[in-house]
Amino acid sequence: MKKLSVLLVDDEIMIREGFKRLFDWEAHDCEVVGEAGDGMEALTKIDALRPDIVIMDINIPIMNGLKVIQLSRIKHPATAFVIVSGYDDFSYCREALRLQITDYILKPVNYEEFGGCIDNLKISLFERRVSAAAEPEKQEERTITGLTRYLQEHLTEEISLSVLAEQFHLNPQYISQLFKSEIGVNFLAYLTNVRMEKAKKLLLSTSLSIAEVAEQSGYGDYRVFTKVFKKAEGVTPSQYRRDFLET
Amino acid sequence: MLRMEIALFLVLAFVACMYFGADKERTALHKTFGVLLLAALTNLLMDGVTVWTVHHLDVVPRLLNDAVHRLFLGSMVLVIYLFYQYIAILVEEETGKPRRLDGPAKAFLAAAELGNFLLPISYTVTPEGNYSSGPYMLVPYFGVAFYLLLCAGLLTVNWRQIDTKRKRAIGSALLIEVTVCVLQGLRHTWLISGMGITLMTLSFYLTLENPDILRAELTEQKMSMLYLKSQVNPHFLYNTLDTIRIQAQLNGDKKVAALLMRLVDFFRLSVKVDRPMVTLDDEMELLEAYMELMCCRYPELQCEVDIDPELGGALVPNFILQPIVENSLLHGLKNRGYRGEVRICARRDGEDRLEISVRDTGSGFAEGRKAAVDEVLRSYAKQPPKLSGNSIGILNVQKRIKLLCGREYGLSYTENDEGGVTAHILLPLREEMT
Repeated sequence: MKKLSVLLVDDEIMIREGFKRLFDWEAHDCEVVGEAGDGMEALTKIDALRPDIVIMDINIPIMNGLKVIQLSRIKHPATAFVIVSGYDDFSYCREALRLQITDYILKPVNYEEFGGCIDNLKISLFERRVSAAAEPEKQEERTITGLTRYLQEHLTEEISLSVLAEQFHLNPQYISQLFKSEIGVNFLAYLTNVRMEKAKKLLLSTSLSIAEVAEQSGYGDYRVFTKVFKKAEGVTPSQYRRDFLET
Repeated sequence: MLRMEIALFLVLAFVACMYFGADKERTALHKTFGVLLLAALTNLLMDGVTVWTVHHLDVVPRLLNDAVHRLFLGSMVLVIYLFYQYIAILVEEETGKPRRLDGPAKAFLAAAELGNFLLPISYTVTPEGNYSSGPYMLVPYFGVAFYLLLCAGLLTVNWRQIDTKRKRAIGSALLIEVTVCVLQGLRHTWLISGMGITLMTLSFYLTLENPDILRAELTEQKMSMLYLKSQVNPHFLYNTLDTIRIQAQLNGDKKVAALLMRLVDFFRLSVKVDRPMVTLDDEMELLEAYMELMCCRYPELQCEVDIDPELGGALVPNFILQPIVENSLLHGLKNRGYRGEVRICARRDGEDRLEISVRDTGSGFAEGRKAAVDEVLRSYAKQPPKLSGNSIGILNVQKRIKLLCGREYGLSYTENDEGGVTAHILLPLREEMT
């Protein structure tokens, strides 16, 4: 898996410095390839560097971040945009979602938790690859597709590396490496991501209670589920349900 | 004849006592009114004296009689001038336009006082009574006419910009004075100028300068100070804190960075809440940020939260938990050296009620304190609005719950068997509209 290139856009140098130095890009197979301090510079750099990921502040000089995304989207449909904003305001969030950004995170950014955002990004890139390719060519790709499909189908059960190893007659270490090399995230992060996606779908499309959603997403204890959900999404499951159903 | 002057003097003296005894803002308006009261009292005193001397022309030496009459009318012109000044300041406060007529008004005052002491006096004796007359009488008539015209002018020019209450106060004072002056002009022997002045002063006292209004003004000013204090742009505040946090983390200080992170969270959440009712989840988020900061300051402090996630969407009045928890910390656990636990639980009470409890393992109520707190919470409606002091936090919480949810809900305290206290917040179980 090749390294993902990252462009940082924020008008505050300190915040760019923070992103650059406090988040372990190396460990997440990423590399910061450039920085921009205003909307114009961001546009030019996106064209010149063609980054895989753009970390974007909304309130920046000359042209705001949403406008930059709107203009770049047309030329670079594959670029993933992550909005980082102090505007704790759902109207911005809605507009951002319309622009099909990959993620929306609020300042202050917790660099330890930012890894989760990058993981999500890699998983969505992986899923895009899987759905684009008709039939995987390499053996590894076939295996990982099978593994992920199995996970999707057996979410409510107890799943671990050893369960997978038994099912697929593979070495647990090998499976772990496969996740890392093919998707770029470790097995547990992938599992959590899939469970959260399932939970979000259930929260929005059904009226199941939180405990039932927890169970169907593979969490026996709703307290654990609430905690994990809050960590991943920034809001509790019931807040999440309300925020979306309101609008 | 002296009875009216004595009565008027006593009335005004009483007003002056009330006025000077009241707490008030130190504004130009109130200062002017204070001076006005003193000048009016002097005038009434001289009024009484002259009423007596003018009827005893044979006993009182001519020179002394002249002197008290000149002092009487001199003080009267001064009082009228002060009325003008008072009204001018009122109008200035209302319209924001600077006073432009102060110069002429002061010059006229100087001229009038000069005339008052130089022009000759004579005394008219009639069967109905005596009165002073002669060219010096021009001074009070011109003085009163001049200043009343100025005031009437101010009032009409700025009619639309002046608040109705103030307009009425000024208008009625002017009407009273005009009526009294006309009567005095027609009936020289009535000697009622003191009545005009007293009534005018009273009309301002009753409408704009009485202790209740002064107190309300003072409270309002304090409130607006508090309001202004909290008006520092919150974005500036937490953006700056965030920059400091990143710098701390860049310097390798993870602990400081984590604390600042929580502080930013706390500010962000407390600024965000602009609705009277929020969901329990939102309220808990704020509380958790607060608790984490406190627990970091006092490592032996522990906080447990046990809330049914199904209740997360219940609506509660905003900012009711933090003051209660703060009370538990400051009045209970502080005495234990911040060693102990705060436990926050939320549970359904029957079909349609929600009970949130905050239980601490602190020192509990001091002797008699429980009864005092119960009393404050029971008679919440009778408690005057306070800006600071004891039980302000819980009183506020109680008032808001009663106001927003109804009188059958509210806050109460019980003592735990094993020490410490528990706050019970009873609320209606309402879900956010979805």
